[in-house]
Amino acid sequence: MKNYIGLSVLAGLLVLASGTAGAFECKVKAATMAKPDGFPSRALTMIVPYGPAGGSGQVAAAMAEAVTGHTDVAINRDHKPGGSGTVGMTAYMAAPADGYNVLEHIDDASSAHALDSKRPNPAADLIPLVVSQVTFSQVYIRSNETRYTDWPSFVEWVKAQGGKATIANVSKEGSMERVTMKFITDATGMEIQQISFDKGAPRYGALLGGQVDALFEQPGDVRKFLDAGNFKPILTIFNERPGVFANVPTHKEMGMDFEPLLRFRGFYVHKDAPADRVKWLQWAFQRGYCQDSYQAFNESKFMNVIDSYRDTAGAIDLINASVVQYREVYKSMGMDVK
Amino acid sequence: MWENFAAGSLALFSDPFTIAIFVFGVMGGMLFGAIPGVSMLTLAAILLPFTASLTPAQGVMLFAVIYCTGTYGGAITAILFNIPGAPENAPTAFDGYPMTRQGKSGKAVGAAVLCSAIGGVASALVMMAATEPLANWAIRNIGPPEIFALVFFGLAVASSVGGRSIWKGWMSVLLGLIIATIGQDPVGGINRYNFGFTDLAAGIAFVPAILGFFAVSEIFVQAEKKATGKFDAPKVGMSFPSFLEIWAHRIAVVRSILVGFFCGILPGIGATLAAFMGYGEAVRWSRDKEAFGKGKLEGVISSETANNAATGAAMIPLLALGLPGGALTAMMVAVFQMHDLEPGPLVFYNSPELIWIVFAAMFYANLSILFIGLVETKTILYLLKIPFQFLAPMILLLATIGSYIGRGLVLDVIVMFGAGIIGFLLRRSGYSIPGIVLGIILGKIGEQNFAQGMQMVHYDLLTYFSRPICLILIVAGALTLLAGIYKAVGSSRSTASQ
Repeated sequence: MKNYIGLSVLAGLLVLASGTAGAFECKVKAATMAKPDGFPSRALTMIVPYGPAGGSGQVAAAMAEAVTGHTDVAINRDHKPGGSGTVGMTAYMAAPADGYNVLEHIDDASSAHALDSKRPNPAADLIPLVVSQVTFSQVYIRSNETRYTDWPSFVEWVKAQGGKATIANVSKEGSMERVTMKFITDATGMEIQQISFDKGAPRYGALLGGQVDALFEQPGDVRKFLDAGNFKPILTIFNERPGVFANVPTHKEMGMDFEPLLRFRGFYVHKDAPADRVKWLQWAFQRGYCQDSYQAFNESKFMNVIDSYRDTAGAIDLINASVVQYREVYKSMGMDVK
Repeated sequence: MWENFAAGSLALFSDPFTIAIFVFGVMGGMLFGAIPGVSMLTLAAILLPFTASLTPAQGVMLFAVIYCTGTYGGAITAILFNIPGAPENAPTAFDGYPMTRQGKSGKAVGAAVLCSAIGGVASALVMMAATEPLANWAIRNIGPPEIFALVFFGLAVASSVGGRSIWKGWMSVLLGLIIATIGQDPVGGINRYNFGFTDLAAGIAFVPAILGFFAVSEIFVQAEKKATGKFDAPKVGMSFPSFLEIWAHRIAVVRSILVGFFCGILPGIGATLAAFMGYGEAVRWSRDKEAFGKGKLEGVISSETANNAATGAAMIPLLALGLPGGALTAMMVAVFQMHDLEPGPLVFYNSPELIWIVFAAMFYANLSILFIGLVETKTILYLLKIPFQFLAPMILLLATIGSYIGRGLVLDVIVMFGAGIIGFLLRRSGYSIPGIVLGIILGKIGEQNFAQGMQMVHYDLLTYFSRPICLILIVAGALTLLAGIYKAVGSSRSTASQ
């Protein structure tokens, strides 16, 4: 455990450099930018490697609306779900690198590259235009749960079950969820069965209906259940307590000394796209982040709890840090890192 | 309830713009549901950004109406051309298309119209009466083990449909189950049978497979008949089913409503499983099982009643708990969120007027299926008069576009034509195309829930039997399989002794 914690300290520092969010201030001052040689003269195509109704689909729609709103350039979203994002990524890498094609992707692209270096590196094979959502994970229980009410009592209860306690998440091989759960189980010495649900509805329904004992999720995805008083967070996996979850302990406070892995979603363009077009796209998407409509969207998803914004340089740091961290963890887990 | 329903109806029909949105939703859902390849999901995705400029009630109501009529729309092409508009209409083609070949297209389409409306209206009524208690019951009592058991039961019941023998029916289902394992496994995300092709990691998509096995293989079959001089153009049957014919199937209708509703309230399951289970139950309870897949009216009735019964049911976990039952209800979540609302328990307290406008709209949308469906049917049936040499290229073109448009992958077009060729060859040998499609669709759902269930019971399969609903469904499925084997062996012996 200490081995990969030590190796990932630098990565973690880079990841968390921006810390928690303060009052929003747009970092892109220029409200307009001249189109380089008339680019774009037609609609952009945004490849989204997930379906329209999920987190990626929604952030893609919100960003497309924001960019179109302030540039008048239409963006057609092309959803190519499947293979944990690999189908969309492959399709994007095969599309012309002319700046007219952009990509939405999440941290899965970084973890996939960490596991297999032949997979595209989002920080090198692509140019991040903006990372517009960065969030942390939490562990939730039902609000009316009586067997345990907080993290210490939960750990105690799980240990008493002899490995029969369950937690719902998306525990695909090498996923952020599975890696973080390994951190947690190693640090606490508890044994818990992870149940992998790839769709949100059955995952949340499993906790609501008592089919599982806990849920590993990001707060924005379960906000409605938090607002309705159905779920209650008992652990925040982040280095400090975000303001809206001031009464929820962090993993470090609970004695787990690992750097948190973050979920992030962003927008990319191919590295071979013409430089002047890339510059315009960076402006358009970074400024899109500042639009009221996008900010309202992020707020509705708890994405303003910590600083969700990374420009190109910040995004590259975030991705590189994540890749280093994932790679070390995968090696420590005995996975075949290529 | 009735007061709220009246208030919802009044709100719906007192504003001309809201009426216009309702009518648009009814017509749009039917149209997009009927065109192969595109679907109600396509229309919903196009409309999603525009719902921001509507009131929350109008936006959610529009999607709910599209859901009702879109689920029905795909039945028309399934019956007339063997092209299910969506996976939930696939079982409708099992018997609907053979009926068209027999000159009974009017009866099949008429039954689909009527039973879609009956299933949808019944479902809407139950939805209005008992949304919250039903949703809470479903999530507490039905988990992955129960859903797997339900799929197992469905496969066991319907596996013999369409094959020349029970063995061939089962072999067909097994082939479908094998095809369903292509791509990443649903729990661990490990690639299987993708042979290094990234696009195959996403598995075989339902729509190209269905279009290939049904539409393309049918074109090949008819083309062969044309080439050998055996082609017999389908006769246009304009006679609708009589009241007595529908009344004779009243038990099938009620059963399909119950089955469809039950499947619909399960989060993440929706109308596809409902249609297959409704069809399977019709087969199980029939005294004339061999007639299914060959043009039996009850097959159309069961499938179309069940898939529309799932529409109202799918709104229950969405509205009561915020858990969408399928792709379209998941998009409805986005409509709610665009208006700073979240579906779930609070919406009943915070926005009761929205809920009752949606309930009322779904009720009337299902009634609209009846009236508009019966009016349009007479016109649609004339499509069958188009000569085969013109119709076949049109269907191939539509199927090709429909396969490609979903994910924009050439692979899906290849899959469609591959499925068409395989389907053509297997049909000649007496294997069951419905069985293969059943295996593909239920295989994916079943495998995912089996794997999740095994994790939940700590890989102790016997624990499945300690869950009452699971136990009943697995035992019933096993008995069905044993009965099938007994019957098949008996049949083989009697053939051998002759």
